[in-house]
Order: sequence, then C-alpha cells, then structure tokens
Amino acid sequence: MKLFWFETFKTFSRWRTYISFTVIALIVILTEVVMKLSANEIVFRMLRPFQKDFLISGNVLNAWFVTAFIMNSLHIHIPFLIALVAGDMVSSEATSGTIRFLLIRPPSRGRIITAKYLTALSYTAILVVFFASVCVCLGLPLFGSGDLIVHHYGRFDISFIPESEIPIRIGLAFIAAIWSMSVVASLAFLFSTLAENSIGPIIGTMAVVIVFLVLGNLPLDFFRTLKPYLFTTYMINHWQQFLNIPIPWPEIGRSAIILGLHNAGLFLIAFYIFKRKDIKS
Amino acid sequence: MKKILLCLALLPLLLLPQWIEAQEDAFRYLESIEKKYAGLRDYTAEVMVHFDIETFKAPDMQAKLYYKAPDKMKVESKKVFFFPKEGGYFNPSLFKKEDYEIKFLERSTDDGRKAVKLKLTPKKAKRNIQHFVLTIDTDRSLIREMEMTQSDGREVRAVIGYGKFDGFELPTHIQLKLDIPSYETEGVKEFDQLIQKPKRVTGTIEITYSHYKVNSGLSDEFFKETGSPK
Repeated sequence: MKLFWFETFKTFSRWRTYISFTVIALIVILTEVVMKLSANEIVFRMLRPFQKDFLISGNVLNAWFVTAFIMNSLHIHIPFLIALVAGDMVSSEATSGTIRFLLIRPPSRGRIITAKYLTALSYTAILVVFFASVCVCLGLPLFGSGDLIVHHYGRFDISFIPESEIPIRIGLAFIAAIWSMSVVASLAFLFSTLAENSIGPIIGTMAVVIVFLVLGNLPLDFFRTLKPYLFTTYMINHWQQFLNIPIPWPEIGRSAIILGLHNAGLFLIAFYIFKRKDIKS
Repeated sequence: MKKILLCLALLPLLLLPQWIEAQEDAFRYLESIEKKYAGLRDYTAEVMVHFDIETFKAPDMQAKLYYKAPDKMKVESKKVFFFPKEGGYFNPSLFKKEDYEIKFLERSTDDGRKAVKLKLTPKKAKRNIQHFVLTIDTDRSLIREMEMTQSDGREVRAVIGYGKFDGFELPTHIQLKLDIPSYETEGVKEFDQLIQKPKRVTGTIEITYSHYKVNSGLSDEFFKETGSPK
C-alpha cells in the first residue's frame, strides 16, 4: 500500500500528468460552448429523420445529451491521454536512470510492478471521473436537464431515457468507461516495461488502438469476422450499452469479462517481463 | 350485333347520372362536416401519446395542445415531446371541398352506421400529400378514418373515436398506423445498402385527448411563440 501511495505521489508530482486534465477540460469546455452556440444546427441534424413526421418540442439538447455526445469521442482522445502517463510508468525509470536504485531496495519486483500498475489504473479512473465531472458540471448550468434522447445519426431509431433514470445510467456508463480505458492503460503499461523511453509506449499504444478501431469499422466481411477479436469493439460498446433500452446486462457482462481478461493478460505479461528485466547491462 | 354495340355505347350514358349523383354526394359530405364545425373557433386539450414503434422507444408523453381555426396548432410540454404531424390532431378546416378533387369510392357500414369512402386529391401541392382517403360517418358527419399517402411513400392511417364537448364532437382517441420509409441520411453505408430499397418503419401511435376547452378565444399571437426544440 505504501508503495502504491509512493507511486501515486510520484505520478501526480510530474507536470506531464496534468497535461491530460488540462486537455480534457479544454476539449469539454470548447465542445460545450460550441454546442451551445450552434444548438439549432445540432438539433436539426440530430432530429432530421423525425422532423418530417413529428412536431418536436422541449429541451432536447440538455446536459445529459451533451455528456453522451462528448463521451462518444472517448475512444479517440482519452486513450492518448492515458497512454501519456501509463506508457511512462516503467520506462521513465529507465530513462531517468532510477530503475537500478528502485530495484535494489527491499520491495520485491512483483510488488513494485503491481504498485505501478495500480497507480496507472487509478490515474485512468481519476481521469475519466474528471472528464465526467467537467461534462456534467458545465453542462447542467449551460444546457439544463431533461430526458436523454439517444439516437443513431441519420436513422429513424431513437430511445428516450427518463430524466429520473439518467444519473444512475450515466454513472454506470462512466464506470464502464473506466473499465474500458483500463485496457488501454494495461497495454501502455506493458509497452512501458519493454521500452527504455516513453515515446515508444505512447506511440505504440495509440497505433494499436487506431489500427484496431479502423479494422473494426471497415464494412467488409473479412474485417467483420475479425471484429470480435479486437478489444476496441468491447471498449466502445461497453459504456454505450448503459444507454440502451432495456440495458443489455448479458452483453455488458460479456464485454466486462473480455476486457477484464485483457487487463489480466496484459498485466501478467508486463509482470513477467519486469521480473526478468536485466538491469545490469 | 348492331343492337349490342348500341347498348355498349349507351351504357356510359346510363351510368353518368349515378356518377354525377355520387360526386354531388361526395361534395355534400364534406360540406356537412364543414357546417357542423363552423362554430368551432379554437380548442385546448390535454394529450397523451403512446408509441408502439420498434425503433422508437419512448415513454408515454403528455402535453397541452392548442388549435385555432383554420390551421394554427401548438403543443406545450415541460418535457421533450414528439407529436405526429399528420393525423395526430383534429382540424375540421383541413378538408374544404374547394381545395380537393373528390372521388367517391364506396358506401359501407362502419359499426352499424352508414359510411362513405372518399378519395381527396389536393388541387395545390399540400405538404407533400398525394391524396387522402376518408371514411365518413354519414349519419353524424364525422371522419372516422383518414388515410394519407405522401409522394415520398409515407403512409399514415388514422382511426378516430369521438366524444361530445361543449356541443362539439371532438376526438377522444386517435390511433395512427405509420408505414414510412426509413432513409439513412448519414453514416457509413454497407456496399449492398447502396442498391437496396429503403427499409420501412411501421408501428402504431395512440393519442388520447381529454380536458377540452372549446372556444376560449386563443389569440393569433399565442401561436407565434415557437415551441421548437432547443
């Protein structure tokens, strides 16, 4: 536990850690202000398939809609911000030459790598919670509350989530988002144990995430059969399923297990590599 | 042979008076509805909308609906509210006989009452509507059913139930059956989707009306305040 707090203190003492929080705050503020200014355009585009058949009134563009809208971009910028810190956890010790000092101290390698991994996971959770807080805290005064309309762009497909259910569903969605993003943290962490500098793990993680996302979205049969084997498939769907009616618990459970297995697998590989790491050369 | 040919030639002439009579009747049915609701200047009602459409998962919605003759309508709701544009509310001024080419289709009985079916084709383009088919209860001068066909393939059928409020028979329940094309306007399309016909969305919307206030003197300005989504 002491090691964990020590690693957490080290992580949050670095200015690099705060880049992510600043970037997230900027992205959310900018997005919400632009959405407020171009509210009519957004509502028009969003409700276009329904406007021929329905008269629509009420606060459609509310804080919950804006939060869900921004969450849709979660899989693009958040992995990079997570990789920025998780990819630096072990490799930074090698870069700064402190790894030998660290490993000749009494705590075992296993405890050190576990503490570092838990720190990477905590950072991921704190980042997503911060993201959720900024979205909701800024969104509520700007856009107000209301029922959440979940729709598929350009299609006659819509679900209404009553206002009373939204806080719980959004809360669960963010917990699922933390779980999804922990796989990115695990991947970056694994790369971090392999590298001697931080750039490699960060770029490597992003390369994997982007390639998997692209392959998973190509509308060809070959890639469609490949899709279930890509962790990014579960990473995106996992949190979004909490905004479905009804909530598909079996699918959520399945995604959570698959993501959990990825976490465990990636950590065990990192653990094994770190245990056998040669620090003499 | 000549006699047969003569009979065939005279047959349309024999049928002509009946056709003219049917056309006159068709005009008369619409006229009687117009007369019946001539005194209806405005009404306010509470509406509850229940959706039963597979791709439209929404809870029941409540709102207040305001109508002023001939064509002003407004809905007010504290929450997000979707209200069907076609056939969702009662507008007796919609079917003015001079606005349509009217074709008499058939006589029938609806719930033991005499009814007629008319096909109305707008003389001027009206909100994309190709034609209406109305089933009119001739004893009570009420539109019982309304089928709307739009030029883009949208089909809406409304079955209307009435109650009496302040001397006017006004809808208490409208059942709308929708059959509309679902055009996908955005997003990545599958290769085979590009050549496929658009999918159709079907379902039912039940609208219940209550707490009518008739001829309360709603002003035109009241309808200028937009109720568009924010």
